[in-house]
Amino acid sequence: MTARRLSTGGLIDRTQAVDFSWDGNPLQGFAGDSLAAALLANNQRIVARSFKYHRPRGIMSCGVEESGALVTVGDGDRRDPNVKATTQELYQGLVASGQNAFPNVRFDVGAVNNLFGRFLPAGFYYKTFMGLPPFESGSGTGYWMWCENIIRKAAGMGSASRAPDPDHYEHGHLFCEVLVVGAGPAGISAAIAAAELGLDVLLVEQDALLGGDLLGQSDAQASRDELLKALAASGVRVMNRTTAFGLYDHGAAGLVERVTDHITQPDPNLPRQRFWTVRAQQTIVASGALERHIAFDNNDRPGIMTAAAGRHYLNRYAVLPGQQIVIAGNNDSTQIVAMDMAAAGAEVTLLDARADIGDSTALKDAGVQIRTGTAPLSARGKTLNSIQLARGLPGAWQADEKLDCDALLISGGWSPVVNLISHRGARPQWNADNACFVVPEEFDGVRLAGSAAGVWQTQACEQSGRHAAMQAAKALGKTVSEAPGVSIGGWQTPIEPLYEINTEGRKSKAFVDLQHDVSSDDVRLAYREGYVSVEHLKRYTTLGMATDGGKMGNVIGLALMAEALGKDIPAVGTTTFRPPYTPVAIGALAGRSVSEHFRPLRRTPLHDWNLTQGATMTMAGLWHRPWYFARPGETINEAYIREAATTRSSVGLCDVTSLGKIAVQGPDATEFLNRIYTNPFAKLPIGKARYGIMLRDDGIVMDDGTTWRLSETDYFMTTTTVNAAKVLTWLEELLQTRWPELRVHVTSVSEQWAGCAIAGPKSREVLSACVHQTRAVSNEALPFMGVIETALQGGIPCRIARISFSGEMAFEAYVPSDYGPAMMDLLYPQAALHEGCLYGLEALGTMRIEKGHVTGAELDGRVSIDDAGLGKMASPNKAFIGSVLRQRPELMRSDRPQLVGIFPKDRNATFNVGALLCAADEISGMGEGWITGATHSPELGHWIGLGFIKGGVDAWQSKIAVAADPLRDQQTEVEIVSPHMVDPSGERMHG
Amino acid sequence: MANRLSALAGHYSPGRFGAEGQAGVHLSVVADLRLHQVAAWPDSLPAVGQLLANSIGQAAKPGPGCAISSEQGAVLRIEPLKFWLLNLDPPTIEAEQGCSLDLSHSRTCVHIDGPQAQEFLGRLLPLDLRAAAFPDNRVASSALHHVGVTLWHRGGGYDLFIPRGFAVSIWEVLHATALQFGLEIS
Repeated sequence: MTARRLSTGGLIDRTQAVDFSWDGNPLQGFAGDSLAAALLANNQRIVARSFKYHRPRGIMSCGVEESGALVTVGDGDRRDPNVKATTQELYQGLVASGQNAFPNVRFDVGAVNNLFGRFLPAGFYYKTFMGLPPFESGSGTGYWMWCENIIRKAAGMGSASRAPDPDHYEHGHLFCEVLVVGAGPAGISAAIAAAELGLDVLLVEQDALLGGDLLGQSDAQASRDELLKALAASGVRVMNRTTAFGLYDHGAAGLVERVTDHITQPDPNLPRQRFWTVRAQQTIVASGALERHIAFDNNDRPGIMTAAAGRHYLNRYAVLPGQQIVIAGNNDSTQIVAMDMAAAGAEVTLLDARADIGDSTALKDAGVQIRTGTAPLSARGKTLNSIQLARGLPGAWQADEKLDCDALLISGGWSPVVNLISHRGARPQWNADNACFVVPEEFDGVRLAGSAAGVWQTQACEQSGRHAAMQAAKALGKTVSEAPGVSIGGWQTPIEPLYEINTEGRKSKAFVDLQHDVSSDDVRLAYREGYVSVEHLKRYTTLGMATDGGKMGNVIGLALMAEALGKDIPAVGTTTFRPPYTPVAIGALAGRSVSEHFRPLRRTPLHDWNLTQGATMTMAGLWHRPWYFARPGETINEAYIREAATTRSSVGLCDVTSLGKIAVQGPDATEFLNRIYTNPFAKLPIGKARYGIMLRDDGIVMDDGTTWRLSETDYFMTTTTVNAAKVLTWLEELLQTRWPELRVHVTSVSEQWAGCAIAGPKSREVLSACVHQTRAVSNEALPFMGVIETALQGGIPCRIARISFSGEMAFEAYVPSDYGPAMMDLLYPQAALHEGCLYGLEALGTMRIEKGHVTGAELDGRVSIDDAGLGKMASPNKAFIGSVLRQRPELMRSDRPQLVGIFPKDRNATFNVGALLCAADEISGMGEGWITGATHSPELGHWIGLGFIKGGVDAWQSKIAVAADPLRDQQTEVEIVSPHMVDPSGERMHG
Repeated sequence: MANRLSALAGHYSPGRFGAEGQAGVHLSVVADLRLHQVAAWPDSLPAVGQLLANSIGQAAKPGPGCAISSEQGAVLRIEPLKFWLLNLDPPTIEAEQGCSLDLSHSRTCVHIDGPQAQEFLGRLLPLDLRAAAFPDNRVASSALHHVGVTLWHRGGGYDLFIPRGFAVSIWEVLHATALQFGLEIS
């Protein structure tokens, strides 16, 4: 092939030369070029190596269906593999290189695979290496895994950078009445017509330029300009460089906009790509049609491309793909290509498989040599230098003479791009007259127009677009005049179905799916292996599985399978198209949800204050909470032990804002609480709090917390941090579906209040120094489980309950969130006067384990109220959620795992959370229980734990258990004790 | 009385950021938000709605997803039975009629305006903000970067109510997204 740039013509900007690098070599193109066009203009014939056989590949198309020119673009942390050179816009400084080749695509040692190609058919690797005696037997797969590692290195595509993606991406949302996909003649006409009817229209086009097929036509500039002018005046919103990759329910469409992929030095404020979700009331798909290859021997040689691609390179980029050009096809669309090539100065021969091609006067006048009843039988040369011809009829070809050429342009017919409407569930139907799949004109608010609907002529496509717009407007309730529809087809002379060319008994390497090196022999092998379904064919051969999604090869594969089966194509069926239509970068899917914004961070009002005090933070759901406050030189262990010990001996302050908080309000609030909690709430006095357990319907514990009665009709409920949203949703569900007659409103007030626990024997002194009226927190005014609403100094409104999670005399104080730091500025100096401290989650955990207080670690969705040792809180005198099913025999068994405390037999030993509790004489299987919490107890001076074990404490009083930790290879003998390991009578907290 | 400390205090600074030229997006943090929720019962909804409308000198309560406002304050209908009152204390509501709740500290309110405010919000919210679908005084609950938020189209701009704990995280996303339009923070 001697491709070259013509001195005139094209839509490129010749005033802007563009330097780029290909495989380390500096080359030049023009602004407006695609990378493929620029490579072609520089006569780069081999630009890639094939997936399996490492065969040389060139540029085979001009669009998203490209199977050959897959390259790597960019370098360093911006290395992007498997980019179709045909869709990559050229820009100054672009760096591109070949892939899947060593040392380079022009000379690749991996090409040795091709020599053994006949021994490497579909399924070869699995059949040969899986279960290969004596390496593998039974269910072992070790040898195969070893082989697979080597095979994967020998076959494949490019490799992405392993460095973090330096670019950013974003999501966006768009709404419109009519979404038009594709800005070819049909799409633009549809958009204009819909806009003229007053509809809000969004037109998206994957290419940088609008025009679709018009961009490849030699005489369409004026009509394109006219269409674009009308489009600009219509008010249609236009998005170019934007691919509609999927259609979903209720008019939703997924788009990817390539914002800066064509820019040398993009504005750092711009995302590289945007992932758009469009919600359209009607959708018109004018996504065009893709020209098919034909399977014949060596049909993958560099120099062979589709006919329309050749024309596109000539007319859009002013690149003549060869000097001696053969054009081979089976339909009318090749004729205009031949005339354009001849007009550009090439020596052109047109091969047509059909015996009759209609009036050929214009072709002959243009100097085109015509051979009817002729097709390419085999391509010759590492890069194309000649072809052997076949004469006759499809199915009865005879080898004919050789013909020298440097470019072969192929058209095996056209496949409408029906992918998007197929995403919605429309089944493509085979249209034998046009040898292609088509879908119904309308399906669930989606309409096809133009060649996507099987309409082949430009003017008919425009009419088809207008018709679709009228129908869409009608569906939206507009009164419109009827625009006539357009029939499928448009050839002057009918197409002759042609999928493979070969003569009887001739060996051939004819590719069906070029990207995955699936040949026609592979399809027939699949048939011989007994695969009769197209879905099996796909999985056995990998036909259609590559990044092109079978755009080039699926129909040929179906046709060959049908032939092997002796059936028609419709009887074989077609595989289901699924999104995305073209690959979507993971970065675009993630949008801004990456790095520190992978998930939103939830900060308490005391967040910055805690950091100022030296907190080391940890995640608690989405919350960031203080883990511990290490003093200089302290380890985490030293810090939490000190914090827990200080709290028990003096006073400690802890940010408890993350606890869920729900306002329960209304005349029926008391009745509501009485129904959802296991224990009685009907007589809870105003100014008192009560610990409560709520169950699920099935009798399993859902959550626990305290609920404070603020007034006759107003309660303040706290939940665990992790279950805050779940409990609120549950309460809403109950009110809206089961008890709509109850006049109760529940509202999350988790964000309204900043909370601090003040715990320890000195807690009252600390608090009394901070409240507006000291006596408000006296033992009389605020006894255990008492609640007051008061004010801190400075007039900060505050609600306080005397409740304890640590087991010490303790208070929880809540102030409106914006006053949170001010509250801490009052409390902490007072605590410091008593040599108190701040404590974090680790010390909080230590103290609650010492006391045997349960959290989400214990209430894990499997535990009954009796298992948790709280059975006495289940009232026998009232009905509550879960009251019936908690009494199922299975939940009442006495040998169920029950909450226990755990001491190491050797008090210097430790054990881990997650360890299994086993009988000492049977350390196997799932054991008799498990450990949910473990810590060093400053109070007891040794390691302790909480967990569950069958039968509870009573069953293990004289037995030694073993904390077995097979994952960490540790076994510790333990004693099972009461979960209330410190101050079991509660004297301290009752104070 | 101690001063209120916004969730965003110390996390932003006024100025001009991002793309040059005219700023497409203006962000400002609403100081000392006053926000009360009033919830009615199904049978008391007309009376409570009327009471709230009267409290700001308006004739009728807002419909679902709508707001009414005056110099005295604003009433947003955020749920079929729930209203938000902005910048005024709620009238006395008897328990038989409904209940009120102070939520002033539960949300951080960011006001968004500028010539590209609508386009900017389209990058963040799955809401149809076209003029016909979301005119002035429309209210919607939605999700922004996984967080439930409330948006009020007010006077050509938008008030975005963010749960306080997520305010910094959401602010960072707002800031990063706005840079491409040219951002002015006041």
